Amino acid sequence: MSERQVPYSAGTRPGPQDAVRGMTARRACLIWLALAGLAWADLVHALFRPDGGLDDEIVRSLRLPRAGAGFACGALLSLSGALLQVLLRNPLADPYVLGVSGGAASFALAAMMFMLPWWGVDASAFAGALLAVLFVLGMARREFWRSDPVEASPRLLLTGVVLGTGWMALISLLLTLAPDRGLRGMLFWLSGDLNGAADAWPGLLVLGVVLVPSILAAPQLNVMLRGETVAHALGVPVGPLRLRIYLLASLATAAAVVTAGTIGFVGLVVPHMLRISFGNDQRMLLPASALGGGALVMLADLAARTVVAPAQLPVGVITAITGVPVFLWMLLRRRH
Amino acid sequence: MSPRRATLPAESLAQGARLAARDLTLTVGRRTLIAGLQLEFSPGQIWCIAGPNGAGKTTLISTLAGLQPPTQGVVELDGLCLSGWPGSALALRRALMPQAVRDAFSASVFEAVLLGRHPYLAGWGWEQPSDRAAALDALAALGLSELAARDILSLSGGERQRVALAAVLCQQAPLMLLDEPLAHLDLHHQIDCLKLLVQRAAAGCTVIFSCHDLNLARRYASHALLLDGAGVTNAGLVREVLSAANASRAFGYPLMLIESAGHEALVPAH
Repeated sequence: MSERQVPYSAGTRPGPQDAVRGMTARRACLIWLALAGLAWADLVHALFRPDGGLDDEIVRSLRLPRAGAGFACGALLSLSGALLQVLLRNPLADPYVLGVSGGAASFALAAMMFMLPWWGVDASAFAGALLAVLFVLGMARREFWRSDPVEASPRLLLTGVVLGTGWMALISLLLTLAPDRGLRGMLFWLSGDLNGAADAWPGLLVLGVVLVPSILAAPQLNVMLRGETVAHALGVPVGPLRLRIYLLASLATAAAVVTAGTIGFVGLVVPHMLRISFGNDQRMLLPASALGGGALVMLADLAARTVVAPAQLPVGVITAITGVPVFLWMLLRRRH
Repeated sequence: MSPRRATLPAESLAQGARLAARDLTLTVGRRTLIAGLQLEFSPGQIWCIAGPNGAGKTTLISTLAGLQPPTQGVVELDGLCLSGWPGSALALRRALMPQAVRDAFSASVFEAVLLGRHPYLAGWGWEQPSDRAAALDALAALGLSELAARDILSLSGGERQRVALAAVLCQQAPLMLLDEPLAHLDLHHQIDCLKLLVQRAAAGCTVIFSCHDLNLARRYASHALLLDGAGVTNAGLVREVLSAANASRAFGYPLMLIESAGHEALVPAH
């Protein structure tokens, strides 16, 4: 089969041979292994550099949970971004586009204003995320349940964006009203900060819970990308799938935001970087996004801890400052 | 996930698909597009659905494909009501080419065509060599082999249309529904496309397509269904249905049939 040669037309740049073979299981495994290696290297770095020999106790009780939480957050955000980009068929979608983070942030900031302990802030953030999800579900319920072949994405997107704008206004209001001594913590929370991440397990657990059904749905998501009519005609249950993807993406975003605040950039850009490099096959892309996003946030957190040590930077600032030029370079380098 | 793998041989389809509309009524808002249609589509037939803009061609095709429920009546495939078919099993029996596909993300032409094999995927959902072979055959059948590595976002309207047709072809379903497959194609591609449909019908497929070119339909289709958009339908052999009188009435413009060197053509009478 693979001996069959497909000639390239003159004038078009010969793409990689893989473009003709499409994505294969073997090629996807190679990509995953490479990204897992990257994540592993980050982890080793995060634990033992740059201080050289380090107390086992510090590694176990501080560095390891923080690295794990960083990986989980990055993986969740990036996976959520990849899922929402398919669901909304829009390259601009990111984990926060449907307002989940807005709800979480509003409630978290309110909890901070009332000086609740960290678990109170986390619980409040999660409640806010849940409320935001219910809002979108309630307003756009017809888009999830309708079975006729109508393009639902634009309405769903618009509903989410408008609700998100509402949350943003609420956040601004809270920041205006907050007492000065609480402001710094709030701003750190808003730009994404792994300082408060004490435990990696909740994030990693949610990652597992979200990743497995996402991978199982990946072939159907490939079809969804060509539009809902095509998906319907090819036997994909469009309505239930849309609802499932929305809930998975929301859960992933909520877990990441509760762990580390709203780290920007990762969820939008990691899936695109992988797409530019390896193509848009969801069977490869979803696990690769999780691995790549996790590796990126671990690396960024390492920088956040060390660049201006002993002070710390919010990890979200590092991801954006370093990521924007890299992404622009990748985007503009490849023109089809 | 998809059910068990059922591989159909590429050329001879195991079983023809019998599609039947029973007392089918379609309405949009307060307009009745089709009223009480009784019709059987059998293997080996090529049906052309013709009618003026807004007459309900797309609605009818998507109802016949099982994408939307009829207002009244039922559509049966192989004697079973469409609503009783599980989506994945139905996708092995009928293929649908929608009117326009809007793409937001890059993909190679080959990948886009390979998606037509989705109903056949099993296990972890990776294509088998036979799926790749089917996609390459479909590309070759439409003269798209050279474009296999091209990005679908860079295609012209006509190329895009042929890619959609190739995807439907590689689905290898015995019932093919095509909404305006000839749109955006230049004449020789229109004829290639129609010849391909004739070939599929000869291999035992049931083919239904909508079309604006009555003369091409008269030449290549075996049967026609003429809609006037007000509930009246006219179905039967293509040359009887797409007569000058019927077409004039449906399209609201006088047409006449001219004959030259054994060929016939409907032309505007004024």
